[in-house]
Amino acid sequence: MVAHSTTTVPRHRNWAVTILGWVCVLLGLLLLAGGVWLIVLGGSWYYALAGIGLIATGLLLTRQHMAAVWVYLVTWLGTVAWAWWEVGDDWWMQVPRLLAPTLILILVLLCLPALYRRGR
Amino acid sequence: MPRTPYSLALVAALTAAGPLLAQDEPAPDTLPATDAAPDAEAADPATETDTDIGADTGDAGAPAEGDEVPAEVAAARAPQPQPEVGADWPFWGGDTDATRYTPLDQITPQNVSQLERVFEYHTGDLPEGTAEGTYSPEVTPLKIGDDLLMCSAMNILISVDAATGDENWRFDPGVPNEAIPYGATCRGVAVWTDPEAAEDEPCATRVIQGTLDAKIVAVDIADGSPCESFGENGTVDLWQDIGERVPGWYAVTAPPVVVRGVVVTGAQVKDGQAEDSPSGVIRGFDARTGELAWAWDLAAPEENRNGPPEGEVYTRGTPNMWTTATADEELGYVYLPMGNSAVDYYGSNRSEAENEFATSLVALDATTGEEVWHFQTVINDVWDYDLGSQATLLDWQGTPAILLPSKQGDIYILDRATGEPLTPVGELTDLPQGEIEPDYISETQPYSEWHTLRMEPLEPKDAWGATPLDQLWCRIQFHRANYQGYFTPPSSDAPWIQYPGYNGGSDWGSVAVDTERGIIVANYNDIPNYNRLVPREEVEGVPIYEQDERGTGPEGAADPQVGAPYGINVNAGWRNPVTGMPCVAPPYGGIRAIDLETGETVWDRPLGTARRNGPFGIPSYLPLNIGTPNNGGSVVTAGGLIFIAAATDNLFRAIDIETGETLWSDVLPAGGQANPIAYEVNGRQYVLVTAMGHHFMETPVGDSVIAYALPE
Repeated sequence: MVAHSTTTVPRHRNWAVTILGWVCVLLGLLLLAGGVWLIVLGGSWYYALAGIGLIATGLLLTRQHMAAVWVYLVTWLGTVAWAWWEVGDDWWMQVPRLLAPTLILILVLLCLPALYRRGR
Repeated sequence: MPRTPYSLALVAALTAAGPLLAQDEPAPDTLPATDAAPDAEAADPATETDTDIGADTGDAGAPAEGDEVPAEVAAARAPQPQPEVGADWPFWGGDTDATRYTPLDQITPQNVSQLERVFEYHTGDLPEGTAEGTYSPEVTPLKIGDDLLMCSAMNILISVDAATGDENWRFDPGVPNEAIPYGATCRGVAVWTDPEAAEDEPCATRVIQGTLDAKIVAVDIADGSPCESFGENGTVDLWQDIGERVPGWYAVTAPPVVVRGVVVTGAQVKDGQAEDSPSGVIRGFDARTGELAWAWDLAAPEENRNGPPEGEVYTRGTPNMWTTATADEELGYVYLPMGNSAVDYYGSNRSEAENEFATSLVALDATTGEEVWHFQTVINDVWDYDLGSQATLLDWQGTPAILLPSKQGDIYILDRATGEPLTPVGELTDLPQGEIEPDYISETQPYSEWHTLRMEPLEPKDAWGATPLDQLWCRIQFHRANYQGYFTPPSSDAPWIQYPGYNGGSDWGSVAVDTERGIIVANYNDIPNYNRLVPREEVEGVPIYEQDERGTGPEGAADPQVGAPYGINVNAGWRNPVTGMPCVAPPYGGIRAIDLETGETVWDRPLGTARRNGPFGIPSYLPLNIGTPNNGGSVVTAGGLIFIAAATDNLFRAIDIETGETLWSDVLPAGGQANPIAYEVNGRQYVLVTAMGHHFMETPVGDSVIAYALPE
């Protein structure tokens, strides 16, 4: 899915973007592993799916690829929709659902300038 | 949970103390004075308002059927004049009815913001050595005349000037550290005035407490000197007829009550150790002499009324009363909120008598020790749903009544004379019975249809955390556990969720009742526990009588339950072991005003801010009113205020009883897990709370007694 990105050699790799990418991969793997366990136990599918979204975002970030932003936006919007469906306007219940994912959204968006330069 | 490293010093101390402790005090060779009235009928309420000390036996509390009752016994068992709440706070629960309501009205919602500290007194009782990590004093002073009367965590009796905080006297009964049971706690004292003694006679008015090393101690209110006429030089040994002395297994943490000259006490029997545990016997002692007036051994009430036969002990392992009873001087009754049997989470080996009385409010005739009625709140309790709250006397729609809050949050109102419910009691049916002991687990349970503090059952989406990751961990734990809602029976193949947990609902802080406005003020916890029965071969903990070192973990964490096929492991508050945060969202506790006429909620709000709480135990300093776990009750004033600390944010606050709004607060130097009081000196109203911390609530330890008043 990131094959075309290998056609251009990076002028210089942004290490902050790369680190964020690997952090996303790590968190995504944890979410996916726990999420699969939860599915086996008969629980919600959200965590495994969010884990996949986060892993994809992370891998794209490590390749300095603009698609990372789009993949994460989809993950984040899905998260918001799921969270609202599950607990609505109960803000204490929204803390674990929205706080960290939104923080990651901000970090991913902060990568935009680097990714944009890279994409030119 | 921190585990206090155990020093060799304690082992040495225990060994040294052994021979001393083994020297039982000689059995009293004179039989108790009430010997003559074992067949007495339950007191007739109609005749009990007579306060004439010289009344004949027919008018006294114990109309004996042909038995000769010595004149002085009859006199001692007649109703005695009782002090009133107002300038004084003469009882642990405030007034004779234990309403925690004061008629004082100087401090109001309009002027409470001006409240300032008048004094901060330090008891000097702070944990040393092995007592480190076990302090939970929970003390509420009494105020009588010019003085505050209190005990410290280690049972030092102290009198302090109520206006200045200057110490008048102290008496240290020398309780050793190894006597500390689950926590070093002394919730308070009782004060009794001998109606026959001249005012200047020594010990005419005496301060009475039960101690951690299971003694009743009586001292003179004037100077703290032991009452020589009471027991052995002011001390009665409660280990008498209990069995082998194992320090910390059997301890008194609640104030005794005095009914018609009889001091009534139970004791805390450390939970989860063994089915063969000290008896939960309730005993009455003559307040003047300290002689045993009667014993109520629920499994042998007739046989052991005057103590067990020579060489025997009170029936072992029976349900105990660790909390505070309520005295009814008028009817001559004492109302006992009973706990569960010593092994809380497995019931098949319990006797019929244990099943009959466990987790029940029991009314005894305090003059004879005979049971009058009992009201059970849990059938075959395997959840440690001990009755923890002191019941409150009130007049309910014209009937003398008693209000009983439970750990499950149910509030019952019963006829004081008969125990019949005055508010509707429903029945839950078709409850799950589990696989461990399906024949023992009851298919039905009672509940209050009138009012409950209990919330809706948990769902998977209630799993919580700071991030999706720890929330996911909790959500996995939820799905791994057995949970079929309220009264999910214990299990061993997988953990089970108990909700509400054993901390309530309403615990020992109990509720306050504003009888003028007709409002019940109830603070409560709202926290599940995550438990598992541990098969015998996996049990690592050893019972207290085999321990050479003492754990300090929370109650029920890896208790052996010797005699049952399972030990018990409790994760109190269902906390994530990595972050320390609970697996469910706040609020973890709240405070609610309930209309006494209708049972409807007037207002309900979280109690306790996030200022001291956060993930990994890091204080967040957030002023958000999240609702923390809380322990300790409130006082309600005629001025229209509720004063309460209780929460884990170390704040002492004043709440408008009409709206539930916090109008004033002060940061305490330690945890305020204690019931506050209100009193008056020279026309100035004070509110007072002790800030001494609590190991289980994880608040900092202290030794402060702090009084507040408006500027003069």
